[in-house]
Amino acid sequence: MTAERKAENITAVRMVINWLGLGLFALLGVAAVVPLFLIIGDVYVKGIDAINRLGGLWHFLTGLPPTPYEESGGIGPMLVGTLYMTVLGALLGIAVGFPLGVYIGEMRREKFANVARAGVNVLVEFPTIVIGLFVYAVMSLAKEDLNLYLLDPLSRTISPVGGWITQFIGPLDGFNAYAGAAALSIIMIPYVALITASAYASIEQPLREAAYATGGREFNALFVVLRKAVSRAVLTAALLGTAKIAGETAPLLFTAFGNFYYAPFTGPTAAVPLWVWYAAQTPYEVQIASAYGAAAVLLTIILTIFIIARIRG
Amino acid sequence: MAKVEFKNLRVSFGASPVITGVNLSIPDRSITALMGPSGSGKSTILRVLNRLIELYPEARVSGEVYLDGQNIFDMNVLELRRKVQMIFQIPNPIPNLSIFENVALGLKLNRLVRGRGELFERVKSALEKAQLWDEVRNRLDMPAGKLSGGQQQRLCVARALAFEPEVLLADEPTANLDPENTAKVEALFLELKKEMTIVLVTHYPPQAARISDYAAFLYKGQIVEWGPTKDIFTKPGHELTEKYVTGRLY
Amino acid sequence: MLGFLLVVLLIPYLIAAYGLLFVKLRWGLRLFGAFIVATIGLLTVMFLVEAYPIIARDGVAVFLQTGWDPVRESYGVLQALTGTVLTSAVAMALAMPMALGVAVTINEILPARWRGVFGSLVDLTATMPTVIYGLWGLFVLGPTLQSLVNTLARDTMTSPYTLFTAGVLLAIMITPYAAAVIREGYALVPKPVEEAIYAVGATRFEAALIKLRYVRNYILGGFFLALGRAMGETVAVAMVVGGNFVRFTTNIFESGITISSLIALQFPNAASYQYMVPALFAGALLLTLFGLAINAVAIYIIQRGQI
Repeated sequence: MTAERKAENITAVRMVINWLGLGLFALLGVAAVVPLFLIIGDVYVKGIDAINRLGGLWHFLTGLPPTPYEESGGIGPMLVGTLYMTVLGALLGIAVGFPLGVYIGEMRREKFANVARAGVNVLVEFPTIVIGLFVYAVMSLAKEDLNLYLLDPLSRTISPVGGWITQFIGPLDGFNAYAGAAALSIIMIPYVALITASAYASIEQPLREAAYATGGREFNALFVVLRKAVSRAVLTAALLGTAKIAGETAPLLFTAFGNFYYAPFTGPTAAVPLWVWYAAQTPYEVQIASAYGAAAVLLTIILTIFIIARIRG
Repeated sequence: MAKVEFKNLRVSFGASPVITGVNLSIPDRSITALMGPSGSGKSTILRVLNRLIELYPEARVSGEVYLDGQNIFDMNVLELRRKVQMIFQIPNPIPNLSIFENVALGLKLNRLVRGRGELFERVKSALEKAQLWDEVRNRLDMPAGKLSGGQQQRLCVARALAFEPEVLLADEPTANLDPENTAKVEALFLELKKEMTIVLVTHYPPQAARISDYAAFLYKGQIVEWGPTKDIFTKPGHELTEKYVTGRLY
Repeated sequence: MLGFLLVVLLIPYLIAAYGLLFVKLRWGLRLFGAFIVATIGLLTVMFLVEAYPIIARDGVAVFLQTGWDPVRESYGVLQALTGTVLTSAVAMALAMPMALGVAVTINEILPARWRGVFGSLVDLTATMPTVIYGLWGLFVLGPTLQSLVNTLARDTMTSPYTLFTAGVLLAIMITPYAAAVIREGYALVPKPVEEAIYAVGATRFEAALIKLRYVRNYILGGFFLALGRAMGETVAVAMVVGGNFVRFTTNIFESGITISSLIALQFPNAASYQYMVPALFAGALLLTLFGLAINAVAIYIIQRGQI
């Protein structure tokens, strides 16, 4: 009987340890997401207030940023720059990332595919500032000759089309939107590639064989028939990748550089994250407020894309 | 007296019923065989008996199951599992733990032994009963995942026996073994039934005929017939049972 | 001229790769593979070239000396390296328990229908722009930590912006990355093994510990991947680390600097000095090499774990 009692006591103690231990794990797990709510709350509370104070939503979305001595202002140029660079970067990222993902996902028996896979794995974890510096280095190496041999003649040829085109095409400055988009695309490529690869890798063998049997050429099998099996995962990857690069700051520091005004994309280009980075560190209350407003706008864009991706995915 | 008693047990996974009203009593110190075609719910019954069914969130269980007259759903699950041990169809040692630790784990977690000496003795005797001791005595620190399939299954037998359980559940324990290992396990069960109640799930009627004292035939989640093994095999009371034991129903 | 060719040939290269997809699929795909490998190779070479002037002048001393004095053209990145190590250490010490907590919470504690929601929240934590973390760190976390630390021990933190602040902020940012790897491993614990663990009478907490031991390779892999993130993170750290690139410190409650934030904060005025750009590229080279090494280790560990 005493043995029975002892066993019961041990069980009771273990149950207590069980609840304490699970409670600790749960506490740690919750601690990982609590800051998310604090940050979102902070950004929206201060951000919405700032947008109202700086002249309302429409003015904020289109106006020029406030100088330290102004009462109102917006993030118009930043929004335009972010949209332009994000769309370009995302398109390029998907254009290269998707076939790359097919390669490392489908040709796993190839030695070089494994080298490429290792490369992708390394690149997806790379510090983003390093990628920005890389594009900067390439840009400063290529800029002069690029302008001299290609872009000057080109812009002279196409100038009759109209003045608007010089906003997009023309001799490049050291900092420009295309360098920014290139840096963003290098961040996006491995992201899309890895998800595409795992989607292709998880296709079941019978389906793959059927695709090869009905698809005829390998191209049709991979890109037409099997596309249906992976399109959802790839779309999710594209959306989440876009959300990711839309908020990137470090790779834009030395590529797009930032600007206060609406300006040609061939020169220094503004971006919302760059403005948050810059304005938050100024000592001026009005600019800090605009940084919060900009953060609220940026967060809204990213949350929207994220939620769409989750609902579709 | 019945060691285990099922009263109107029903189990469903999501919307699909798996067990639809099972009543069965399992006598003490004997081998009871649960036979039936695959998908008849044999394994599910075992997983109800040690409440591993609770690891399947989509499973819904109703009805009562008594162990020595006590409803197992009112018992503490740790106490239940201390008394009711299980051997699985696929050998499932914890592959990264050593051979020794696999057997010792349950004893240590449940504080069933005092001190290292007693632990070692208990592990050793369990491995001896499972006829594995001689093969692994010199490499007790080796990860269990490196053993062969037959050895892994005997390790799992040892793990269960280390508890000195009152009820031993065996889910097609010989399904993946060669004839030699199968014979060893069957001989072991005949030895063990002197000390404990064994519930053996098998899809192979001759095995039930060889070693069980009682047999139940399950079909589509219901017990068609149950009783002493001799009766089930020599004068089955139901057409389905007869078909099954003579190998005409799979 | 080299750079010109590089940029100009990139376009026909990608077009050719696409064209080949239709003609000779495998070769087209291989071109895409080559593109990514070449990018990494080129990046490393580029940094070596750009950093060469200062390495030629100072040798490895640039990595071993402290002090950042543009006026005298004397650059050392040791204080930044120390800052990177210290902030990463603080971040990892806080992030790993949280990452384990996330994995156990999702797989062991939450009911099935809440798992997806919680997982999405964790993923969102990884998707949030780093600059927003920086903003929050600047105006909320930094001051809060300062008053918190100073309540516990007076006058420990003289500024809200210290290596410690950066470490805490980093911990929040990198937890999802470690958690993702651990979750992946945790989900791969085979059902039969899980049944074995519970069959021998483990409580849920004990089962969680046994499973974490089973997926220890993934935990280690997640550790290294998160460490890589912590060492490379730039803007959020630069906003809260204090920007002290002059004085060497090992006190985490003082302002400091990390390699990546040194680059971010000093690059805009680097062009005015002869050796500062090479010195910053030397820092970037160091980050790249760390990144390569850490990723190699992490990938090796995770692949070894897949038995």
